[in-house]
Amino acid sequence: MSSWLDYTINGLIVGNVYALVAVGLALIFGVSRLINFAQGSIYLVGAYIGWVAVVQLHTPLPLTIIVVAVVAAVVGLIIERFGLRPLQNSVRIAPLLATIGISFVLDQLVMLTFSPNPRALPSQLPDVRFQVGGGTIGPLDLLIAGVGISSALLLFVFLRYTKLGWAVRAASQDRDAAMQMGVDVNRVNQTVFGIAAALGGVSGLLVGMYYNQIDTAMSLQATLKGVVAEVVGGAGNVPGAVIGSMLLGLVESYGVAVFGTSYRNLFAFLLLVVVLVLRPNGLFASARQAPPEPLTGTFIAPSRPVRIPRWALAVAIVALAILPLLPVSFYILQTLINAWLLGMLALSLTLVAGTIGQVSLGHAALLAIGAYTSALLSLTLNVPVGLAIMAGGLMSAALGTILISPSFRLRGHYVSIATLAIGEIVSLVILNWESVTRGPIGISGIPPLSLFGYDLISPASVYWFAFAVMVVLALLQARLLGSHLGRCFRAIRDDDIAARAYGLSLNRYKSLAFIFGGFAAGVSGGIAAHLYSYINHETFNTQQSILALTVVILGGLGNVVGAILGAVALVGLPEVFRIAAEYRILIYGIVLLLLVRFRPQGLLGTI
Amino acid sequence: MSNINRRTLVKGSLAAMMAGAVSSRSAFADTDPIMLGVSGPLTGPNAQYGTQWKQGFDLALDEITAAGGINGRKLAYQFEDSQSDPRQSVAIAQKFVSDPKIVLELGDFSSPASMAASPIYQRGGLVQFGFTNSHPDFTKGGDFMWSTSVSQADEQPLLARYAVKSLGLKKLAVLHLNTDWGRTSRDYFNNAAKEYGAEIVVTEGYIAEERDFRSTLVRVRDANPDGLVLISYYSDGALIARQARQVGLKQVICAASSVYSPKFIELGGDAVEDVHVGTRYFPEDPRPEVQKFIAGFKKKYNGLEPDAFNAYAYDAMNMAAAVLKIGGTDRKAIRDAFAKVKDVPSVIFGTATFDVATRRVKGAMNAELVVRKGQFALWDGKPT
Repeated sequence: MSSWLDYTINGLIVGNVYALVAVGLALIFGVSRLINFAQGSIYLVGAYIGWVAVVQLHTPLPLTIIVVAVVAAVVGLIIERFGLRPLQNSVRIAPLLATIGISFVLDQLVMLTFSPNPRALPSQLPDVRFQVGGGTIGPLDLLIAGVGISSALLLFVFLRYTKLGWAVRAASQDRDAAMQMGVDVNRVNQTVFGIAAALGGVSGLLVGMYYNQIDTAMSLQATLKGVVAEVVGGAGNVPGAVIGSMLLGLVESYGVAVFGTSYRNLFAFLLLVVVLVLRPNGLFASARQAPPEPLTGTFIAPSRPVRIPRWALAVAIVALAILPLLPVSFYILQTLINAWLLGMLALSLTLVAGTIGQVSLGHAALLAIGAYTSALLSLTLNVPVGLAIMAGGLMSAALGTILISPSFRLRGHYVSIATLAIGEIVSLVILNWESVTRGPIGISGIPPLSLFGYDLISPASVYWFAFAVMVVLALLQARLLGSHLGRCFRAIRDDDIAARAYGLSLNRYKSLAFIFGGFAAGVSGGIAAHLYSYINHETFNTQQSILALTVVILGGLGNVVGAILGAVALVGLPEVFRIAAEYRILIYGIVLLLLVRFRPQGLLGTI
Repeated sequence: MSNINRRTLVKGSLAAMMAGAVSSRSAFADTDPIMLGVSGPLTGPNAQYGTQWKQGFDLALDEITAAGGINGRKLAYQFEDSQSDPRQSVAIAQKFVSDPKIVLELGDFSSPASMAASPIYQRGGLVQFGFTNSHPDFTKGGDFMWSTSVSQADEQPLLARYAVKSLGLKKLAVLHLNTDWGRTSRDYFNNAAKEYGAEIVVTEGYIAEERDFRSTLVRVRDANPDGLVLISYYSDGALIARQARQVGLKQVICAASSVYSPKFIELGGDAVEDVHVGTRYFPEDPRPEVQKFIAGFKKKYNGLEPDAFNAYAYDAMNMAAAVLKIGGTDRKAIRDAFAKVKDVPSVIFGTATFDVATRRVKGAMNAELVVRKGQFALWDGKPT
């Protein structure tokens, strides 16, 4: 029994660590209804500033904390002023993309400045341990708990009892009304970003000291866990974020206790899905609370799409089709093959995210399902590759829709978070279901692409195959958008209450969209599996999902041609910047930010 | 199937120009350096390993140049960042295959990235020389896949012997990175340890991003082992050791050679004191190739101690040089030269010769080290 006490204590200790990030995320979400993907990067910046202070300048701990808080707050203010404020009148999804771009840029800047090698960040507290249960806790545990809980309390008091706090809450409930009442919304936003960033920076410092280790990969993980904790507690609810973090820590710890370490994150993400399905506003949202998203259509604002004449599209298709006959290098063909594969994924995502408004952040899971189905069928049952890929698409359509169906009752950001969790769950199931997926060893020796008995191995033939499949999928999707189904999809996106009032069954249409989308993504995954000949659970990861969403937003939500154009741009740009070596992802992030800044509705506009 | 025909060459040189690479007809002149292609992570979550590769490569290249290069020509490499992402490594593979200047490819780092690119190298007839690719199926990709990565079938029994025979541990808890490498290693380790008569009381696989191991360590404690075995890299290995000591586990800790890095001690601090590490070389190793490597590395990088990944990269570059001396610059001849090189001085293997059947090198050196007073030292046989 004493072990259970230890598991509980350990869960609380690690929950403590998550709380620091979650509180900052909750604060920003509370005011600007924005999941700040850059929070993890501020955390990273805080950790490295802390390293400079501790190791280079030998500052004492209180001074270190102040330095880190100030620098991080300044970074937060800069992000707010130059990254997000210019976007406040554009579509709501633009700031989300901007925070992703900002996090690329910040992470890369830290990596270039400090090198990617992990560093030790020594704790400046005396090394005494207190015996609790079977383990011990140290002063740093207490400090982290103190900072987490007291900042949550302070923020609670600030929001409830100070004038600026009222302004913050007013702005969060209704920005325009608050402005009419004379609230300086920009100042409110600044305050909130400053506080959240300072908190994020300090948490990076403390967590770095806690593990005596900081490295540039810590940012995405921090964001992921912070988002889970925050949403479990109720997005935008600061004390809820602390409790959500503790709960997350406990669930993970008990999950390890019962099933073993490799199941740990599975439980974290299952908890999230369960909470979202049962209590979409989080565990601690009061019934009276205003809905977390505006009621209608402002998440994805309509814009005037760029009309591309049919003849131009036909010319483009012909030109791209004869490309392999021209003297272009295999490298360019391969890059375009990658673009077509990403294009299929983007077609799928632009349908579910753009056309019907379910912004999915777990789309890589559909790739993985298609890839594993196709690979296993062709390897173990000797199914011809062409058929296996079709089967991969169908499996992805079926399984993907079933898996994602719990999120159908959610809206706005919550759909994204639920799908993010479902994506992680699929990846963890692939890792742990060894009898079928071969676990971390992965599947090797997958036969190459072939069609009607002919192997497609030359780059030109793979190119033609991928391009043809993508064009067919794109034409089908364009046809779909023009049909009554497409109109129903858009009606649901623009105003689901009105759509329901007109007798549209939301779940049915959402399922239909995911079936179409799942098929395209599954086919893309299947082709990739045969192209690579080896896949494992890491081949289709979260970064891939985020990339797909970036492509879709960049191209214009719901826009078929835009999705393909976006895929070519986002596969092509990092390759073009190859000459810049280590700087290429930094440049890519900056270009992304500029695109969001000047073309927030996407290159070709929302349809 | 045509490997290198004229069309490929024409396409390749066009590609090089279109990709912005500096390319001209003079690329084929004998005075230019012989180019190797490297596909590896310089950005992204594995960026640290790419930087370590570069350090090892650069040191080896300095020495190769000082010794007169490859039959009078200089050797150089073109490092393309793949982020260890299969989507990028396949594009890089096509880039290298169609660039006639590249005579041999090194990398990639992770199995998904490397093995996704293998079919392209195989069909393009360019050797893919993977020196960190321990996945058992890597060299099964074709006769253009060669690897000097220490086979885990070789390495893990050595670690098991250290833990069970030398240290006398009978009940082991195995914690491993849940990747293809960690999983393969764990299986070899467990089998060898059982053969030596030990019992594996618990095995726990963790994902690479994991930082908190307290609950895992409660499971370990409840299984009541007399030793912990870490099949980890240095950063996660240091985290586990620290947290094990913090939760009050006092058992002997043994770790795989991949933790062998000064960073392990820096990150682990006092907690890694007395950790036993089975490695392939150690600083006081009297072997001349080790002394040359360590002295050279410290001199080039301001006193920095080299680690395991530096050594792999250094060895790989030296091996590449030895192969090119035999095979010249023809890609097929280079593949055939891999089967011909004999007894290349190597930090990891002493002398390395490929086993033509598996296209791997057998017989890694073994050193039993322990951390004493914040330094890796040869284990003196005293129990800890």
